[in-house]
Amino acid sequence: MKVVSTLILSLAVLSGVSCAKKTGKTDTGADPKVTTLGSIEVTAQLAEIRGDLINDPLYDYAHVMKYKVLQVHRGKVDKDTIYIGHYNPAKPRDSVADARVQQIGGNVKQFRVGDVHRMALEVPIDDHYMGGIINKYFGEVDDPLYWAIWTNKAAK
Amino acid sequence: MMAKQVFRLVIFVVGLCLTSAILGAQDDKVAQLAKEVGGKGWIVYASRGANGTWDLFLMRPDGSARRNITNTPYYEEGGPRLSPDGKKLLYRRFAKGTTINHDLWGFQGNLMIAEPDGSKPAQIGGDREFPWASWSPDGKQIACLTQKGIQVIDLETKKVIRELPREGIYQQLFWSPDGQWFCGVANARMMWTVVRMNAQTGERNVVHEFQSCTPDWFHDSKHIIYPCRPAGQKGYGFTQLWMSEGEGKDTRLIYGEDGFHIYGGALSPDDKYVLFTRCPQDGGGSEKSGAPICVMRMADAPAVAGASKDLRKVHPEAKDAFVLQLTEGWEPFWTYAEIGAEK
Repeated sequence: MKVVSTLILSLAVLSGVSCAKKTGKTDTGADPKVTTLGSIEVTAQLAEIRGDLINDPLYDYAHVMKYKVLQVHRGKVDKDTIYIGHYNPAKPRDSVADARVQQIGGNVKQFRVGDVHRMALEVPIDDHYMGGIINKYFGEVDDPLYWAIWTNKAAK
Repeated sequence: MMAKQVFRLVIFVVGLCLTSAILGAQDDKVAQLAKEVGGKGWIVYASRGANGTWDLFLMRPDGSARRNITNTPYYEEGGPRLSPDGKKLLYRRFAKGTTINHDLWGFQGNLMIAEPDGSKPAQIGGDREFPWASWSPDGKQIACLTQKGIQVIDLETKKVIRELPREGIYQQLFWSPDGQWFCGVANARMMWTVVRMNAQTGERNVVHEFQSCTPDWFHDSKHIIYPCRPAGQKGYGFTQLWMSEGEGKDTRLIYGEDGFHIYGGALSPDDKYVLFTRCPQDGGGSEKSGAPICVMRMADAPAVAGASKDLRKVHPEAKDAFVLQLTEGWEPFWTYAEIGAEK
């Protein structure tokens, strides 16, 4: 009886540890994709989305969003505020890859101001993406635009 | 009571006669147009063949003498363009079953070069190589739009002999007949902007902003034709055919029709006639079976077809369109070269 209860307790503890690990992973947003893809990896808070996110099945585009950088994990980022282009942002990241952009994904379902994202990035966007770009900061901000390859949700 | 009924009958009959007279006059004008263009070279275009795949076809500009020049049941073909001397045909070939994307087709499949009648097709490079290839004036080079930039490639050696930054151009690159310019679709102040680029210096200027794409050159290399879905329409709106000078000046409507999206704009070699497709759905129809190919005189522009009440309000100067409607197809190209003799 004691053996059985010890076993159950051990399983419960192990399961708890496993869940905690999983929760931890979700919290930091780290996964094998975001930590390896692209040359830059940051955790950043979505500060502003200018304009509406259009969901038009006929036309693809990237929408530039403003982020406040919280932590740089890989690569070099010079500024606290960066501008990142997300491909077809009205779509969840796990189903956004298509014929035009194949190496893209993540677990973010919806872009909301205030959310924190862990992202694998490249810069400048034109070296990594050929398509329409909605950039409501055009003429206002001269900084290079980043290109989001992998976008995971992270804890605030 | 009886007199009233007779009066109504007379009005009805007179109305009927007038309508048929107007329609008859329109038919006569369209028949005259067909007669006028029938012997003026050939139109090469993509269309669904009897085998169900996209093939390349030739037809006279009045729709006669139509024939399939590729007839490949194991491939899809599209985007045909003859070299300026009319001696070679460039197009893209896709794996069977490929959905040809109206925006991405220049990146899809393989570049092919064949004789003008479709014989001796040769694949140039591998899958997705030489994207958006378009002819140089002498037909010895092609310009391609790649992620790295605009590349000018020598066709004999396949080597890049010159490269320019693409300056935000992301699709539909075409080299001007005089070799001095490129046009394409770019991100500028906004996306879907038609731009012109100096082929030597790489300097870029905006031709037309806002929901404009698929540009092509007039043969004078001074004007650009492009579809545009202007703002201010009810709901989604309809795509119309427009033209501008290369500097972006003198922007004018060529043809519009509420209820239809106009794509595939191209000119006859003397710039006197315009080709386009007329599709109820946006995009030009490459994902399905294309749309009717139409021919119109440039002298009749600006023209509006159908009731198009809203469009006529915006363009009160527009004439009624006399348009010769041909078979269904996609991305037609007009040559005066005599290439259509039966094999």
